[in-house]
Amino acid sequence: MKNLKLKSARAAKDLSQDELAKICGVSRQTISALEKGDYNPTINLCIAICKALDKTLDELFWDP
Amino acid sequence: MNGNIYKAAGLAVGILVGLIIAAVLIVIANKNRKFKTEYDERQLKVRGDAYRYAFYTVVIWEAILFILAFGEFSFPVSAYILHYAGILAGVLVLSGYCIWKDAYWGLNNNRKRYGIILVIAGLLNALPLISLLTSPQNSDFPYINVLTCVMLVAVGIELLIKHMIDKRAEAAEDEA
Repeated sequence: MKNLKLKSARAAKDLSQDELAKICGVSRQTISALEKGDYNPTINLCIAICKALDKTLDELFWDP
Repeated sequence: MNGNIYKAAGLAVGILVGLIIAAVLIVIANKNRKFKTEYDERQLKVRGDAYRYAFYTVVIWEAILFILAFGEFSFPVSAYILHYAGILAGVLVLSGYCIWKDAYWGLNNNRKRYGIILVIAGLLNALPLISLLTSPQNSDFPYINVLTCVMLVAVGIELLIKHMIDKRAEAAEDEA
């Protein structure tokens, strides 16, 4: 399932996938895979992304 | 056990020298001048799968050779060439899987430098073939070099195609 919350949070910060990837220390393709819902990240990567986008884990990764 | 220990030792030394040169080239080709290539967590997972498939490939290849050898089949080329082809088949599976799943390039790789090294390695392996074409009487057919060259060309083509696909995907992503 696509992670549209992550994509919109990244867009709101005016960051490209490549820029977010560099901040989080991963490849651009990994961010792309996350947004497409093709990869389930570890909690460490979730936290790194949340810190980079100033969001909480709930805001980006919780799907009620 | 019959055999030429000097010939085998010569090959072993050659492989060792090749590995040392490869290690130096990796350090040169990495952005941070480190020997270890860094991958992110998704890439490490993909590479784990790739190594598994490469292992299966080599095992299946060797099993086929084992069965054929047990049946006393004869091959048109020496056994060491067939074993080498099996290793290359494993390398091809590993590289191909990593390339298509975006886990070939590490975070600290300089792709341009790696590309240059790949091209030089391909050309060096093509040299014996050129010398064979120029003086066919003086040399044996360089199977090892030709197989290595074919493998490098295959990896290079895969990398180029994937690069083009990625460029298009990136452009589409920027527009979205």
